[in-house]
Amino acid sequence: MIEASGLSKTFEDGEGKSLAVLSGASLRVARGELVAVMGRSGSGKSTLLHILGGLDTDYAGQVTVAGQRLDGASDEALARFRNTTVGFVFQSFHLVSGLTAAENVALPELFGAHAADAPRRALEALERVGLAAKAQRNPAQLSGGERQRVAIARALFLKPPVLLCDEPTGNLDGATGAEIIELFQRLNREGLTILAVTHEDRVSAAAQRVLRLDQGQLV
Amino acid sequence: MKASAVSALVRLNLRRDRRGALSSLFGIAVGVSSLVFFVALGLGISRVVREKVFPVDTRLVEVVPPQVALGGLLGGTLDQAAVDRLAALPGVDRAHRKMNVRVPAVCRYRGDFFGQQLNMGLEVIAVGVDPSLVQADVQLGKFEDPGAGQPIPAVAATRLIEIYNKTFAPARGLPQLSPAMLVGFSFPVELNRSFVTASAVGPSTPGTMQLVGVSERGLLAGVTIPLEAARRINKDHGADAATFTGVTLETSDPAQVPRVVAAVKEMGFRVDDAERRLSENAGAAVAITTLAMALLSALICLLAALNIAHALSASVRARSRELGVMRAVGASRADVARLVRAEALVLGASGGALGAALAVAAAFAVDLAVARFVPDFPFKPDAFFRVPLWLPLAGVALGALAAVVGAVGPSRRAARLEPARVLAG
Repeated sequence: MIEASGLSKTFEDGEGKSLAVLSGASLRVARGELVAVMGRSGSGKSTLLHILGGLDTDYAGQVTVAGQRLDGASDEALARFRNTTVGFVFQSFHLVSGLTAAENVALPELFGAHAADAPRRALEALERVGLAAKAQRNPAQLSGGERQRVAIARALFLKPPVLLCDEPTGNLDGATGAEIIELFQRLNREGLTILAVTHEDRVSAAAQRVLRLDQGQLV
Repeated sequence: MKASAVSALVRLNLRRDRRGALSSLFGIAVGVSSLVFFVALGLGISRVVREKVFPVDTRLVEVVPPQVALGGLLGGTLDQAAVDRLAALPGVDRAHRKMNVRVPAVCRYRGDFFGQQLNMGLEVIAVGVDPSLVQADVQLGKFEDPGAGQPIPAVAATRLIEIYNKTFAPARGLPQLSPAMLVGFSFPVELNRSFVTASAVGPSTPGTMQLVGVSERGLLAGVTIPLEAARRINKDHGADAATFTGVTLETSDPAQVPRVVAAVKEMGFRVDDAERRLSENAGAAVAITTLAMALLSALICLLAALNIAHALSASVRARSRELGVMRAVGASRADVARLVRAEALVLGASGGALGAALAVAAAFAVDLAVARFVPDFPFKPDAFFRVPLWLPLAGVALGALAAVVGAVGPSRRAARLEPARVLAG
């Protein structure tokens, strides 16, 4: 499902020195796998996730996700890819204020050519994460765990085959984090391919496979 | 990205930032309203100048003899032969001859004047013209010399009636007159008599003039009578009845006028374009004033565009994460730029519409106030403002354009946002 080889990326630090965060990293994730990528803070985990999700285009190497080649793809092609093929879950939820939970979930609908039954499908997605009852609430009226569930429902709204998670439990307490991890496991059992970057052991413990990012290489 | 999606997101953001939106909208509205207001005023005043104060027919050329004539060598005598040559010039459709009544005349009126007793003496200035010049405005009988002893048909100038109604009549407590009232009105004249010249050669001749119409082409300070009547009066009193005072050349097209003017000057005649120049100068003064006001208003629109640019830049900075999320769920760089531009377009068009509506309302209010509270004066128009349909529409378009121009920078910055960077952490 996900294949990446020879991924390299460098940043410039504040003094103008080049800093390599990925140095020829490669990985392969099979369909239906739940894989955790671990590493210390600043090791390049999020960078790897952004490259695999088509959010970062400034890198060297080859990436193919669900049969789509991302390196060298146009901005429009990458936008379509992000809209239909991958769902993102972020540590800080990144919900849009001013929109209800259901409207947040249906946000991807605005950027694709999909059917006009978005409200019903948004409710279905919220049901899938156990939050249908709070569909009309604003993000400010939801707890951290509930916001993350809304973010997961948004990521799943257009039924992508791949879910990419960036520290998904980083802002949640223990019990809520456990609920989210349980939710990921359930979604994975339903056939969703999940790649989560994390530094939390409880997330890696739930994964079927754990990769470590060290010195720009995945091991 | 669908138009409905753009609309939904624009509405969302404007709803969340009402204060910023209102500030941007207000700036555009001020600029557009002042522009529409002043342009409407300029158009209205121009119309008054063109149609009432100096109703110049742009197809006409007034030919007069030179101030110093050197016999027939350099032209100068405006006789029938000269008129024939002028009429034959390329571009000239017709030549209307004019001959002043070259003997003095007075009117001593004593009797009923539209319901009021009047006892007044006036010096009468009259010019005879070819009937074709004013025929269209004649409403009673034929405009031709009726022969000695018969009332001479006369045409009054529209502007003379206006000046009488707005200044003379109110000052003397005389009745207001309309063209319809005047047609058929007769008054006595004594030819070869004057209140102002020391003496006139020969005896005076009593007669009558009857107003048969009111015309823009009539002599401003006097009456216009048939050419043959003027010729007969001059002849009867021993004055020059062979040469003309002037000739009005009617061209087929205003574009022919410069060529005709050049040919007339080449023939040794002068062109009396004082009225045309006055009209053009007044029109130019109005146009320059309007342009200055319009430029000032355009400057306000420019400042409004800068305000929108500033507001949108701040908005893009504040929403960088949100825009990053949109990129993450499928928005392209072009989608994000379109979103910012659409927001500006809505603000600009709304501000433009509000400004245009305010300007039209203000123009209407000013016209109403002037009509009610400002006393009558000559050429006072029914409306000082003219608001053709294109003007408010142009105001809306200008508001939208100013806003979209203001959004160029912010939309580019929004499109350049790196989602990987703004969503990190």
